[in-house]
Amino acid sequence: MSTDKPGVELMTSSEITWCPGCPDHIILESARRALLSLMDQGYQRDNFTMTTGIGCHGKIFDYLNISGFYCLHGRPIPTAMGIKMGNPNLEVITFAGDGDTYSEGMAHFIHACRFNPDMTLFVHDNQSFSLTTGQATPTSQLGFKTKFEPLGTYNSPLNPIHLALSAGASFVARCNAKDILHTQQIMEQAIKHKGFAFVEIIQDCIVFNLYANNQDRFMYKIPAGDNDLTQAMALAQEYDYNNGQGKIPIGVFYAKERPTLDSQWPQLIDLKNKKVGWKGLKK
Amino acid sequence: MYYLLNKWNYILKIIICQILYGLELIVFFCYNMKVINLYFMRLNILIGGRAGQGINRASVIIAETLIKTGYYTFSYRDYPSIIRGGHNFNILSVSDQPIASHESVLDVIIALDKNTILIHQSKLKPEGIILSYKDFDGLGLNTNVALAGALIKLLGIDSKLLISIIKDTIKNETAVTAVEQGYQNQDNKYNLKPLKNVISVSSGSKAVATGALNSKIDLYFSYPMTPATGVPEILAKDQLANQCLVFQPEGEIAAVNMALGASFSGARTMVGTSGGGFDLMSEGLSLQGMSQIPLVVYLASRPGPATGLPTHSSQSDLGIALHAGHGEFPRVVVAPGDPTEAMEKVNEAFYLSEKFGVLSILLSDKHLAESEFSTSEKIKKPLIVKVNRPVPGRGVVKVSSYETDSDGLTTEDADLAVKNAKNRLKKYEAIKKECQKFEMIKFYGNKNSQNLIIGWGSTKGAIIDAIAGEDFKFLQVLYLKPMSDKIKAELAKAHNVILVEDNLTGQLGRLIREKTGFKIEKRILKYDGRPFLSDKLKQELLNKIK
Repeated sequence: MSTDKPGVELMTSSEITWCPGCPDHIILESARRALLSLMDQGYQRDNFTMTTGIGCHGKIFDYLNISGFYCLHGRPIPTAMGIKMGNPNLEVITFAGDGDTYSEGMAHFIHACRFNPDMTLFVHDNQSFSLTTGQATPTSQLGFKTKFEPLGTYNSPLNPIHLALSAGASFVARCNAKDILHTQQIMEQAIKHKGFAFVEIIQDCIVFNLYANNQDRFMYKIPAGDNDLTQAMALAQEYDYNNGQGKIPIGVFYAKERPTLDSQWPQLIDLKNKKVGWKGLKK
Repeated sequence: MYYLLNKWNYILKIIICQILYGLELIVFFCYNMKVINLYFMRLNILIGGRAGQGINRASVIIAETLIKTGYYTFSYRDYPSIIRGGHNFNILSVSDQPIASHESVLDVIIALDKNTILIHQSKLKPEGIILSYKDFDGLGLNTNVALAGALIKLLGIDSKLLISIIKDTIKNETAVTAVEQGYQNQDNKYNLKPLKNVISVSSGSKAVATGALNSKIDLYFSYPMTPATGVPEILAKDQLANQCLVFQPEGEIAAVNMALGASFSGARTMVGTSGGGFDLMSEGLSLQGMSQIPLVVYLASRPGPATGLPTHSSQSDLGIALHAGHGEFPRVVVAPGDPTEAMEKVNEAFYLSEKFGVLSILLSDKHLAESEFSTSEKIKKPLIVKVNRPVPGRGVVKVSSYETDSDGLTTEDADLAVKNAKNRLKKYEAIKKECQKFEMIKFYGNKNSQNLIIGWGSTKGAIIDAIAGEDFKFLQVLYLKPMSDKIKAELAKAHNVILVEDNLTGQLGRLIREKTGFKIEKRILKYDGRPFLSDKLKQELLNKIK
């Protein structure tokens, strides 16, 4: 068990190895602030448990000093669901990448939206595989030229917001990694949401996909108020992940609570009532 | 006086010898003239028809009646991967002695359709009997129970027991009438008298589920796949009463990763699948090796490659059980041969997993999972499975798919990599030592025989039944990894060594050669997707020692 870095709550002393200027630094700080704020509101630090995938984003595992499981590439969602089912009293948070979630782990993403476990998914979407030095992911812009695909990718990008809405996610939001306060706010809201909360964090990759960077000028905040599914879908389609086309709505697209996985299984309800995991259950 | 005593003594000795010799002659005579039925009764009854006609249901009801009358049964299920039509059959073997196999020749055929007669008639003994659907025209879905009634009469058993079982299970008056009609229609032939044996019946699946419950299982994750699905269905049925949870995720990759997550947060966790699903789980097994989170995997084999023969049986997955998952890490692979062992070995698998943070694989197959075995053996007291490790919810607990330092944080340091690798190896040595407490191998048959049979898993029943009264010793390997050191000495002692496996290439033979350097030349291998028949196996074994 590692202790906090002197003077910085919730941080380990590990050396941070992200590129200088990478928005991952900002996402880490937004998350740290969100957790601290939640702790002020009565959340227990020990209950925060994260899972991370494999990719640049995953390094957050070594920096954020909370319990966690550094999973296999593509699998942080099912592992997180397992953790939640093993002890439904934990606040389970998944940090994943765009390659992680929309390529290798696509089935898990769709089914998590459907199963609606009470957990939160933050996707660090920089529209490229960067830890493997720059290949196209499902959200890379059309024509993205890489060493792997020098002719450019022939596939139009996937719209994860639209997909999550169709798959039944009960909380869908998007934020801009560079907007630290807004990201922190959305993160808090997502963690508080009862059910599967999906937050797509748009971030630059300052090394491997320069074309997709600096989209801030297209972004605007979604006005407050409850959207129904049709409105949310329409908002989702304003941006198709090809740079420079359309406005980019930022904020909560959709938030409607429905029965969660852990509120439907009598066994998990029992654990929650008794405030124990299976380990603490007498049988 | 002294002379007289001696003389009497001498006469007495002669008389005793004569009596013993006489008895021996009688036994010898009975045995050779196949009047063996006098003291070892055995009947093979085939129940066949189309999928959906209630063949298995009839077989289960008949078996229950026989068991409650004091007879041992063994029921083999043979069916294709279809829901309606085709040809399904069960072979129900009945005996007054414990048995765990079926044979190639039939005493009775219960035919629910014409095809059953056409396909199986050639295997009927000359004095055998066919009970046909033709005699029960118009009974529709009750034809199966009417034929069960006819069989019970043929066997000479009172109908009351069967009727009460039908009342408890089918709960339908027309079924009772059908049974009575079947019973009245038939004559008694076999005259089976009630025996005093107290017998219980179980499939391998049921035993695995019971073993898991005895280990206080919390969560079971699996995606449907024959023949592994029996276990989650049995566990799910009473999950609320037993305080456990059975979850069906989107696939096997999700199942194994969820299981590791759940185990990380403190649950006693198990996943189950067959070969194809196990392939998908491989990455999770490797993750177990690095994270060292306890995990029990139930692998119920069927013939591959690929979809293969999905509803049939095979022992062709020993190789993947031993090797699946990249990297080098410890594991336990244990293969029970019958339901009693399955119950014990699942419990040992949970115990070892939790004690050492190791991957335990319980290797079974369709034949063990879905056949119904009977036994009067006593069950051992289960080992207590304690979760005694740090879990999230108290302090910061980190586990990883990366190599880590003592805080659970990622490292690529060469010295730490060596230290961690050595720890994994050391752990295997400790597991190996712990396993000595358990039955890693077992012996059956003539313990002094020079003819040694080696086998594992579900072939146990057929081998034991095949060698009854013959000059063979059977060594059953239960722990495939770690493996008992005693096997080498047994191989060296024997004059003939015969390998029996339900696969194409003799996978246990290969493992034994790897561990001992001993190549087993005499092999009886079967790879048609069907288990061994004890009478045929007996002939093959005798041919090998000629």
